Amino acid sequence: MPDFVYLDHAATTPVRPEVLEVMQPFFGPRFGNPSSMHRWGREARTALDEARERVGRALGAASDEVVFTSCGTEADNMALLGVWRARSASGRRAVVTTPIEHKAVLAAAHQIGREGGEERLVAMQSSGLVDDESFDALISDDVAVCSVMWVNNEIGVLQDVSSLAKRANARGVVFHTDAVQAFGKVEVDARITPFDVLSISGHKIGAPKGIGALYIRRGTAIEPLMFGGTQDRGRRPGTENVAMAVGLARAAELAVIERVHEWAALEIRRDRLEAALLSCIPDAVIHGRGSPRAPHIMNISVPGVDSESMLMALDLRGIACSAGSACQSGSITASHVLHAIGVSPDLASSAIRMSLGSMTTDACIERGVEVFPTLVAKARRLTPA
Amino acid sequence: MRERVLVAMSGGVDSSVAAAMLVREGYDVVGATMKLGCHGDELPDRPCCSLESVNDARRICDQLGVPHYVLNLETAFGRDVVTDFVEEYARGRTPIPCVRCNTFTKFRDLLHKADAIDARWIATGHYARVRDGVLHRGLDPAKDQSYFLWGIARPVLARMLLPVGGQTKPETRAIAHALSLELIAEKPDSQDICFVPDGDHAKVIARELGADTPSLSRGPFVRRDGTVVGEHTGYARFTVGQRRGVPGGFREPMYVVEIQPATRAVVIGPRAELLGKGVVAREVNWLVPAPPVGSEVEVQVRHRARPARGTLVHVDGDAIEIALEEAVSAITPGQSLVLYDGSIVLGGGVIERSRRALPVRAA
Repeated sequence: MPDFVYLDHAATTPVRPEVLEVMQPFFGPRFGNPSSMHRWGREARTALDEARERVGRALGAASDEVVFTSCGTEADNMALLGVWRARSASGRRAVVTTPIEHKAVLAAAHQIGREGGEERLVAMQSSGLVDDESFDALISDDVAVCSVMWVNNEIGVLQDVSSLAKRANARGVVFHTDAVQAFGKVEVDARITPFDVLSISGHKIGAPKGIGALYIRRGTAIEPLMFGGTQDRGRRPGTENVAMAVGLARAAELAVIERVHEWAALEIRRDRLEAALLSCIPDAVIHGRGSPRAPHIMNISVPGVDSESMLMALDLRGIACSAGSACQSGSITASHVLHAIGVSPDLASSAIRMSLGSMTTDACIERGVEVFPTLVAKARRLTPA
Repeated sequence: MRERVLVAMSGGVDSSVAAAMLVREGYDVVGATMKLGCHGDELPDRPCCSLESVNDARRICDQLGVPHYVLNLETAFGRDVVTDFVEEYARGRTPIPCVRCNTFTKFRDLLHKADAIDARWIATGHYARVRDGVLHRGLDPAKDQSYFLWGIARPVLARMLLPVGGQTKPETRAIAHALSLELIAEKPDSQDICFVPDGDHAKVIARELGADTPSLSRGPFVRRDGTVVGEHTGYARFTVGQRRGVPGGFREPMYVVEIQPATRAVVIGPRAELLGKGVVAREVNWLVPAPPVGSEVEVQVRHRARPARGTLVHVDGDAIEIALEEAVSAITPGQSLVLYDGSIVLGGGVIERSRRALPVRAA
């Protein structure tokens, strides 16, 4: 059985060897600046254009619909602030989003509020799904942009993005989705699903940290976040990170090729993990279990067992999991997602997220199934309910 | 199997060296920094109040090759320490939050975390010593921190390791250098209360209770006989024995001798009025079998004060009364009364009041 078990793929993933390999030349001989007119510049520019085309293809998009960013957070910020700033002058001053978004979206919406816009948060069902009535009531003619994450990063619940996007479009609202956890798991294709703007992040799919991309459907007005040169049509000035763009392109291609098989493999392991944990700990709660979910994220609460102690004990046994969201110091704060879907503070304080991925073997699952209930039993002996 | 110890690490030199010494002694060390407050989430332009310290502790643990965790004890600390702190000021007293932090946060709540990871021991960088389940003063009189540790539940002593308590501060710094812990070796000693970073406790009271709370509102300066001799801007800004901010123009220097929250009065008087011949304490905790009435003890009514001789004259539940051999100045409600026998800490309590006349000695 493995000594170390990494069950935190939703936090980040290791760089895939295939990805590292294609990036290598750009740290060496192909170091050029894509804006230069000489040989080195041309080489870099060609690689960048090709990477953009390949990321576009992976998203069912044209290459001019892809903007490279430094991360998912930048992509989310650009989606919300960029679209809102481009549209607010025409009287669309509101932004609609959900309370279960990643902080990148929530904080960007909050910034819109500070810039004079109106923040509106959709009500959530306890299942983790958007409350449709609330959504339709908030999406009106004065909304510039709406953002609903495709797969939630804490509980894995999958929203019906296709339906939400259509309803937003019908009211002339630009629809953004944070697909950072969805890409590589669900089918993300701009020709099939009518989202207008979509964020992805490299390091969740085996590319390095420090690269993300924003899909922007042709015709969608958007302002840049930064000002400078004319790179990427002025939408994202700054010398392009060619190596990372090439890495993201490779990782995205692989994610698309492997997607269906990956889903099935992850689902089998997650179901095995859940079933085993629930049979050992009958009162455990798996958040969002009854809803459509991506197969790589499960979030379990064991009543009365404090997640912070549990995470330490798991780590000291070589098992890496996570909980809630980390503050700057690295300590855990209560999950805003669980709060938003009506989970009691007590139950939320015992939530542990396990997320599966490339490093998860059957042996890892067996190890988790062996260790987790042991630690729960011990914790319960210490603090009888 | 090596015994596991959870080390409370503030990122300072004492707890870092404590962890390093335990690693060297062969313990299975796990470092933990308690996150006790954070304004970083609400005010994005300000980092966590102690972010640098957390980062230092993490880097020291990395250097020592041991795991490190940041534990969020904010809610419990707020309830047990910060709330009590402001309420004590509202009651006209001068609290020592460090005592309650040791009692409730470090040696109770953090101990629960130690239980959760099967740690037999809990360690801190305090200058005090535990031998055979008995708490002693730190060996270095200049650094002795035993005054702040009287509230710990007695059974916890058997699980405490205080590695730096048997050495002086310069020795601790020398060990830090010897072990290449240059990152923290010359860090200055912390002076402030951790959640009152700029030393302005009124700010914390205003934040918790509102700027118009009675303890921060205007009130009279009075003499013992009730004569009003001036006005102050809030009795929480005063403590017994204080001279600063007290009106002048008297024949002798005047001091705060009492605070009367019911009338918001700050009573001032000459030095003689500060003297107390007895002291009453509550919330008493014993770290040894409770001594009988009539026992002679040494007492300390503030950190770094010279111990005074006294007699335990009365015990009533968790309250005790000590008769002092010689009068002691500025016995301050809210501060700690700690009882010693030589280097041994017998126990302590929170000072309720001083007695100006010698109490009648129990038979």
